[in-house]
Amino acid sequence: MKSRGLQHLESARVGLRSIQAHKLRSALTMLGVIFGVAAVVSMLAIAGGARREAVEQIRLLGTNNIRVTHLGLTGKARADAEQKGSQGLSTKDADLIEASLRGLGEIAPVRFVDAPVLLRGRESSARVVATNSDYAAVTDFRAAQGRFLSELDVADAKRVAVLGASVARDLFGFRSPMGRRIRIGDDEYTVVGLMESKRVREGRATVIRVRDINRDVYIPIRTASTRFPLARDAGAIDELAIRVTDADEVSAVAPIVTRLIRATHHGADDFEIVVPAELLAQAQSTQRVFNVVMGSIAAISLLVGGIGIMNVMLTTVTERTREIGIRRAVGAPRSAILAQFLIETVLISASGGVVGIVLGFLMAQGINRFAGWETALSPLATASAFAVSALIGVVFGIYPARRAARMDPIGALRFE
Amino acid sequence: MEALVRLEDVTRSYRMGHSELHALRGVSLTVQRGEYLAVIGASGSGKSTLMHIAGCLDRPTSGRCWLDGTRVEDLPDDELSRLRNGKIGFVFQAFYLIPQLSVQENVEVPLVYSGVKRAQRSELAREVLERVGLGGRRAHRPNELSGGECQRVAIARALVGRPELLLADEPTGNLDRRTGQEITNLLEKHHAEGVAVVIVTHDVAKARRAQRILQMEDGRIQRELQGAEREQLVDALEPASGR
Repeated sequence: MKSRGLQHLESARVGLRSIQAHKLRSALTMLGVIFGVAAVVSMLAIAGGARREAVEQIRLLGTNNIRVTHLGLTGKARADAEQKGSQGLSTKDADLIEASLRGLGEIAPVRFVDAPVLLRGRESSARVVATNSDYAAVTDFRAAQGRFLSELDVADAKRVAVLGASVARDLFGFRSPMGRRIRIGDDEYTVVGLMESKRVREGRATVIRVRDINRDVYIPIRTASTRFPLARDAGAIDELAIRVTDADEVSAVAPIVTRLIRATHHGADDFEIVVPAELLAQAQSTQRVFNVVMGSIAAISLLVGGIGIMNVMLTTVTERTREIGIRRAVGAPRSAILAQFLIETVLISASGGVVGIVLGFLMAQGINRFAGWETALSPLATASAFAVSALIGVVFGIYPARRAARMDPIGALRFE
Repeated sequence: MEALVRLEDVTRSYRMGHSELHALRGVSLTVQRGEYLAVIGASGSGKSTLMHIAGCLDRPTSGRCWLDGTRVEDLPDDELSRLRNGKIGFVFQAFYLIPQLSVQENVEVPLVYSGVKRAQRSELAREVLERVGLGGRRAHRPNELSGGECQRVAIARALVGRPELLLADEPTGNLDRRTGQEITNLLEKHHAEGVAVVIVTHDVAKARRAQRILQMEDGRIQRELQGAEREQLVDALEPASGR
């Protein structure tokens, strides 16, 4: 067995020599595998990047969450909804759901208020978000300094505000905003808290648009209803954020929420329900289709590459028939000849694989730089690309190698 | 003591399309240890086939073969490879060196398959190359050598595994007279050192110093040339040898 290993080491050296001796031919032979592997690697990098981005954005919404959004209807749909007597999404819906959830989770109504945020006449491009004290818990978004809105703030409709990180920087620079007063609309508000900064990526085609929550300014929802009354029902809101404590129950709770709201809205389709966890699953299944398609393309190019290698190896075996005869005559067993050519094929395909991985990595970098797509290449993906390229050598090398090993020594020696 | 090679009523035939070609038609032969034997005959008389079967490169169609006391005609291929590797050295008319390998590496090839470690391989090959007078050519490629030098490399390769039997098939066929003589001398020198040598040739002059000369014709061993007949034949075939 020891001598077997020695033989194979020797075969590897001979194979390497043979590759070196025919540099151009070896390079051309590798080309198929190089491009195949490069395609696989860059595909995996793009897919990995897209997945990471989708997961990141959906996480931002919270995978335990259910979001109900008010849909502003127009034209016939609006007339239809009015006829059915729907009043749109409102705090009543929130109360109803909260009563039904009964400890299954928390709920926060959200209203976006269209009002400028100013500090001594300086305006910040902030979005005023009116909500209740549960919002921080529901969205898993915490105050970095001070506190988030309290139940008392909401109950008393206090004029207090909690600033998003970007807004605070815009208005106060590096000074602390705590306890300072800012102007929202026509009124002064006291800053009681500063939110932590969250990484938000306003990326390319993703499943959901995520607003930059670092630009939010939070005020109590009852303050908003008194200070910024709406033409529509006083309790009207734009969004309901629901957090289900147990992640496994999200998909069970979502249809119940839908049914409850549909009942109170008398069947009007003036709301939309978004379940990030489901979107995530959906995104992943879309990704799977993409992977299958790209994977098939890569598989075909690898197949073609493999056939190319096999073709060249068959030629090599024929060319070296004499050498095979000589080796057999001086005592090489069939297994040694088989190993020699198999190792040579694997060396070619695996070197092609290494070059392909580098090329694929560079392609992914290029795509990242010029198209702005995020790419991520995992070590596992790299390792499997390499393994596949080596496997191609084995699969497509076995036939030429067997042909070499089965040659009759005398016939091989006399081959011209 | 057991004969090194024993063949009993060996036949070998090849299928050539619809007809059958009988290369050997019942040959019996023994080669003793340390013997120097020549097999002469016209081309097509079956002498190369005989050598291949004696050297475990080929199997007989019928008959029995022994190598060093072991029945070999039914041994599995791997066993035959092992026997060739350990007990037999081949020298061919066309040298059969591997062109991509250096002289040194060509000589090392048999040792690779007997599992000798690299350092020792290198040492053994160096030694045997010195003995055939090519110590200074180890790094050369076969295409940089003359025919005589190539055959010396082939002989070195045949001897590097210290075989008991050296089989040479027309070893001087591609060489001029003088170089051929040098190669024959080299083979004879190794016979003197104890290796059994079998030379297969159509040129009886090359075999004149053999202990036994067998003449083949049409797949059979016709006769053994002995005594005066042998001297006569040698003289007749080689009037200008200047003995």
